[in-house]
Amino acid sequence: MKLGVVKAYVLKELTEIIRSRLIIMVYLMPTMVLVLFGYGIRMEVTGARTLIIDNDQSHYSQLLVSKFEHSKYFDVTIEKRGEAKALDEIHKAKNDILIIIPESFEKRLLHGQTTQIGVFLDAAFPTRGSTMESYVKGVVLDAAGQMLERLAGNAPTISINQRTLFNQAMRDEDAIVPGLIGLVMLIAPAILAALLIVKEKERGTIFNFYASPVSKSEFIAAKLIPVFLLHSINIFILFLWATYLFEVPFRGSFLLYWLTSELYLVISLSIGMLISIITRTQIVAVVLTVIVTIIPGFLYSGILMPISSMVGVSRYEAHIFPVMYYNHILYDVFLVGEGLASSKTVTYIFILALYAFSMLTLGSFLLKKELR
Amino acid sequence: MKIFWAVVGKELLSFIRSWQLVFVVLYAFSFEVYIAGSGIELKPRNIAVGYIDASGGGLSQKFLSYFHAPEFLEPILFESQEKLSQAVFDKEIMVGLVFDDTFEQNFRKNHATTLHVLLDATAASQAFTALSYLQNIAINFTARTFPVELVTHKLFNENADNHTFMALTELLSIVTLLSVILTAVVFVKEKEEGTWDIMLLMPVNAKIIILAKSFSQVIIVMVGIVISVGFVIFGVFDTPINGSFFAFLLLSFLYAFTGAGIGLFIAAIAKDVMQVAQLSIVIMLPLIFLSGAWTPIYAMHPWLQTFSLISPLRYYIEGTESIFFRGTPFLELYPYFLGVTLVGSVVYAIGFRKIGRLF
Amino acid sequence: MELNVENVRVYHKKSLGIAGASLSANEGEIIGFIGADGAGKSSLIHAIAGVIPFEGDVTFNGLTYHSPKEAEPLKPSIGLMPQGIGLVLYDLLTVDEHLRFFANIHNIKQDVTFKAYKLRLLKMAGLDAFQDRQAGKLSGGMMQKLSLICTLLHRPKLLLLDEPTTGVDPLSRIELWEILDEIRKSEGTISIISTAYMQEAAKMDKILLFDEQEIIAQGTSSELLDSVRAMSYVEGIKTQEPCIRTLHATYCLSPLEAEHTEPSLEALFFVNALQKGKKMPLIEITNKEKTVELPDVVMEAKGLTKVFGSFTANENVDMTLHKGEILGLLGANGAGKTTFIKMLLGLYPIDGGELTLLGKSIQTQEDRQALKASIGYVSQHFALYNDMSVEENLLYFASMRGIAMDVAKSRISRYALELGFDEYLNAMPHELPLGINQRFSLASALLHEPVILFLDEPTSGVDAIARAKFWELLKALKERWEISILITTHYMSEAEFCDRVVLLRQGKKIADHTIAEFYAEHPKAQSFEEIFLEYYR
Repeated sequence: MKLGVVKAYVLKELTEIIRSRLIIMVYLMPTMVLVLFGYGIRMEVTGARTLIIDNDQSHYSQLLVSKFEHSKYFDVTIEKRGEAKALDEIHKAKNDILIIIPESFEKRLLHGQTTQIGVFLDAAFPTRGSTMESYVKGVVLDAAGQMLERLAGNAPTISINQRTLFNQAMRDEDAIVPGLIGLVMLIAPAILAALLIVKEKERGTIFNFYASPVSKSEFIAAKLIPVFLLHSINIFILFLWATYLFEVPFRGSFLLYWLTSELYLVISLSIGMLISIITRTQIVAVVLTVIVTIIPGFLYSGILMPISSMVGVSRYEAHIFPVMYYNHILYDVFLVGEGLASSKTVTYIFILALYAFSMLTLGSFLLKKELR
Repeated sequence: MKIFWAVVGKELLSFIRSWQLVFVVLYAFSFEVYIAGSGIELKPRNIAVGYIDASGGGLSQKFLSYFHAPEFLEPILFESQEKLSQAVFDKEIMVGLVFDDTFEQNFRKNHATTLHVLLDATAASQAFTALSYLQNIAINFTARTFPVELVTHKLFNENADNHTFMALTELLSIVTLLSVILTAVVFVKEKEEGTWDIMLLMPVNAKIIILAKSFSQVIIVMVGIVISVGFVIFGVFDTPINGSFFAFLLLSFLYAFTGAGIGLFIAAIAKDVMQVAQLSIVIMLPLIFLSGAWTPIYAMHPWLQTFSLISPLRYYIEGTESIFFRGTPFLELYPYFLGVTLVGSVVYAIGFRKIGRLF
Repeated sequence: MELNVENVRVYHKKSLGIAGASLSANEGEIIGFIGADGAGKSSLIHAIAGVIPFEGDVTFNGLTYHSPKEAEPLKPSIGLMPQGIGLVLYDLLTVDEHLRFFANIHNIKQDVTFKAYKLRLLKMAGLDAFQDRQAGKLSGGMMQKLSLICTLLHRPKLLLLDEPTTGVDPLSRIELWEILDEIRKSEGTISIISTAYMQEAAKMDKILLFDEQEIIAQGTSSELLDSVRAMSYVEGIKTQEPCIRTLHATYCLSPLEAEHTEPSLEALFFVNALQKGKKMPLIEITNKEKTVELPDVVMEAKGLTKVFGSFTANENVDMTLHKGEILGLLGANGAGKTTFIKMLLGLYPIDGGELTLLGKSIQTQEDRQALKASIGYVSQHFALYNDMSVEENLLYFASMRGIAMDVAKSRISRYALELGFDEYLNAMPHELPLGINQRFSLASALLHEPVILFLDEPTSGVDAIARAKFWELLKALKERWEISILITTHYMSEAEFCDRVVLLRQGKKIADHTIAEFYAEHPKAQSFEEIFLEYYR
């Protein structure tokens, strides 16, 4: 490998990236995605606008109401205008939940007769609907526990003593932001790298490579190094956003985070490079990169659902995409801190390295130094 | 008027001639919508559970029999607490149950019994839901029934049909994406191929050209919407529409023009198709995230909530949901129509003026 | 050191690029490739350069190769400049950055000798004053010259130039030849150059004539001319025999009772066309459907000035265009010809001076709008919509100009016949040779029967036959329609077909005479090229 040749190409790429203002995209896009998603996505529902109609006005019904009032998940208003009016409010999307406690709630409870609490909720956003439903259930079950103790005296009860690991506060930011880093570091470098070779093919400047003594490996190195250098800075920028802006804890080794991220960067670059090698026009390259990175990146990032909950095809697919391995290490360094002590981390790093190596080999195999 | 239709016809012809583009657009409106609708499952299912059992096994096995599909996978037995914790750390399981030696004894003696649970809370809302499943099982298990029944009515989307919802959200995002990019590309392609000058030399009012070109792309998007709703939403997911289909089409039409307006703005700045792609991403990402497509608006940061007022997609999404799920009557949809029209006409006017300066 | 090409065959996907091509060249020789568009010149150049898979043997400097991979060890001594304006340049890099980049990828030590050589190349290309300008902002001719010097930078032993002088002005072409001559003397470089300029080909050591994916003739310039001398006669002969008539000469295979003329290399094309039994489309322009009264001066520019930032593209240019006149606008690359035409068209705002078109002073956008119906324009790139067929393109332009459908259809079919592209009406523009595209661009500019035609380098890169036909056409249009034409070109031989020629240098007008006046002023000149060079030396 002739270093002078690589250096010449790298300088040329950097000059072009800066002059074409692509550099703004390099630093704007990852940050924008992280901040917007980080602030924008809320899996949990806090402050659901809740109307409660308490037709009983008894001790027990008020105990239940106060349970709702003390939960951060609900923003309770006691509704006195009647059921029809309350339902209308939900129809107009002004409120989300309506809870109706029937008359003689307490009386029936004390007599051991079944009473029904009516819950109406806006499920136009289905996830939100389901989440709200389970919150309502949670509050009622919690209240039930207390009421049962008073009512039942000596019956056996099982109380759940949970130790939530990794994300004790159960904050959405902690759950989402590290996963987002894995997503962003997959998409942004891949899109940039996808353009670099196909752009030369479309313009015709690829002849400079075909007709010169520049070797294939020099060419690939020259194309990847600029993007690698530029995006390496993003590894630090994203880390700072995560820890300072979103206050995600960082429990692991920074060195591990940094090195694994660089390794992962090489992988996403080589995905982009592969696409660049097989496509003919820039617009096709961009669309293809978006399709192969964004959707799997999101699905298998662990943000939406744990990989352990997947079955069948999606479980295999998850193991094919590199994002799962990287995100495991990301969640480890941010929330867990096991680091290299866990054999799984070591295995995953090894898998990532193998991934990078085979992608690069495949790339230099597919890249032809001739017109087609 | 004749010239208007000549331009529209020419743009539609160009579109059809480029089979790659037709393919991408059809793909986006069909498979992409379908994949989003069928692939993403937000409610926790198949939660992987592991346990260790020091209690002797009678009662614990009975307890475990409550864990069944679709919410839970078959619980896995681990040899020691270390291995159980390790499995949670390695994300092989999400929930680890510890039945200690007092579990069965206490329960038989009618004492309060404690079940220790290790929970991976990385995905917080999933963890919360999993926890409420557990609580439910615990209460059901203690034969003492709590005589309160929750009767839940999920309004508007009775089955909490995640599929249609995700498919619709994806469709609306695609409408945004394509109305912006297609319109911008129609203009920028003329710049790239050098036909721009020829266009300027035609004895035709520039306003007619701009209007006709954006209209032609709106038609393409509208056809895409009809195909998508017809085949994917009504066909594959078999979702009824509770409101007026006409109202939805009208709202989509107005919205597509808003997108075209953004496209005009981008076309005025961009020199080539590549810059169109970049600018579109930068402009559209915030637009989509501020719209409430991913998260309810009121759950956002307060200043983001204010910003979301200027996202036309917000009105489009809320309007579409109201039409599909809430079945809101036509006249009561006026806030959404007003929002799309207002934001839309401002955006289109800005784009129109900006590109008009190039003529 | 010598080059041997043995029976080379190239395929593009399934279509044939070139077949059975053999040639040999000795140290220091310059080989010329001539032939129509799509005849296989580029395919052979790509094969020799080792950038495309091929069958057959190529031997250079003792090494035989059959594939791009085997050619790899030779790459340091090969220089390739592919066809296409600015194809190998990066729009955003400056001239100087290009030279440094090309030096680096060829691993050249950038010492004093290199720097001196670099400066010489820059001076030769007239780019020394533009070292900090980005390539995307150079004119087409300057881009060509930059690509060329980038190819010469590593002093290749085998130089492959695919139409390097298309769109390059005569002055730079002479400088290019000087540098080639020097390189071949000092390095013994073998050069293979394809060109559309026959005067250029005439200077080469050996010429290969390409037609329909084959090399059909080769030899020195005089050998080739000898082969066609017997078929070349003076212009304007009337005969029943099948023959081809151009503005210069008549070509006929069977002997005629007429005076012979000294052929140029262009004759090869016409004789070959005759031998293959091809007929030239007969150029016949019917009268305009309606005639309008025109002022004697259709365009008058007084002191037109255009400034881009600190750069003055046109300074105080006066020009008049009379009714029924062909006015040639000539000048070196970057002299401001295209800028001037774009100002006349209103594509660039005028920064100073006055413009009168068809007797109306142009002040506002509205003035222009009214005149658009009277003006036709063909741009440098024949800008047409590539995803619509020829006919659809023409119909679209017609409806944009408000021409009724039936009128448009009859005009299109008439032009198609008259301009000889009727068999291509359903083809897509990008599939057609440049010469056909040029004719139908002209048709699109004529659809509304304009009275003024602006043509910006309509013949660059177009093959000899198509060019000859094009000029016949312009002449017929002028005579039949009394149309006024403003045309730019880099073919000096074409200047002789103009009624009057204006020369521009660095944005200023330096001469404005009829052809006869030019010759009168320069009695020693043999051709217009020599006159042109007088003004720029």
